[in-house]
Amino acid sequence: MLWFDFADSIWNEFDKMQREIEELFDLTAPLSNIRSVSRGTFPVINVGETPDNVIVYILAPGIDPSKIDLTIEKNILTISAERDTTKDIGEDVSIDGYHRRERISGKFKRIISLPETIDANNVKAQYKNGIIIVTIGKKEEEKSKKIEVAIE
Amino acid sequence: MADERKDIAKREETNISKDIAKKTRALVPPVDIYEDNEKIVLLADMPGVSKDGLDIQIEKNILSIKGKIENIVPEDAKPIYVEFGGNEYVRSFTIGPEVDVNRIQANLNAGVLKLILPKAEEVKPKKIEVQVA
Repeated sequence: MLWFDFADSIWNEFDKMQREIEELFDLTAPLSNIRSVSRGTFPVINVGETPDNVIVYILAPGIDPSKIDLTIEKNILTISAERDTTKDIGEDVSIDGYHRRERISGKFKRIISLPETIDANNVKAQYKNGIIIVTIGKKEEEKSKKIEVAIE
Repeated sequence: MADERKDIAKREETNISKDIAKKTRALVPPVDIYEDNEKIVLLADMPGVSKDGLDIQIEKNILSIKGKIENIVPEDAKPIYVEFGGNEYVRSFTIGPEVDVNRIQANLNAGVLKLILPKAEEVKPKKIEVQVA
């Protein structure tokens, strides 16, 4: 026999309880947004919009800013960079072994599409506390304008 | 009368769910933990946290790391595509008595926290000679 028969035992009750909890919290078949990324995606990206700009926030901690390659072509933004998480340990420390390695190391590239209202010639990027902030202006004609209505 | 009672109960319910909605879930920062004879080194990815937003505490045998994400989003901005949400990172670990808590060093660089937890002198491993009779 490959498994023990738990029917009518107390374990069956525990199993039932566990299944009920899993169902309650959507653990067996989680409901997620169709665009959501899996846990552990690196880097994660948020995009926001103000009346004049589209702002992209890329959470990319521990990267040498000179090694970030950021391009915008039409409305497609591509970010590629490399990070070596072992470099963060420092050279003064000799490390024999590890307990956990959860941080993503290596080369990465992500491509996202931005609204077509952006002006790819008007881009600013800065790196602050491990977040790459890309501010892209909107095309002049796309900016929300206040229209005066003449009253006759 | 019965209708009135129903109404009061409903209002309370909406208040509770609003309070929960206001609180965003804390993010769990991914960590690397290395160890050698001298120390344990912890690296945590906490993008968006500045030195002022960092809170590291040791109480008894629990090391807790908290980091508030600095608000960098302009007030008039609306989200159009969102992969992450939250405004703080929280993570805790139990540590053993071998860690010399008075000599812990913390360093934050480009969103990466580095904690060095040195081991106390008396607990560093000693080589034991095995006598062969």
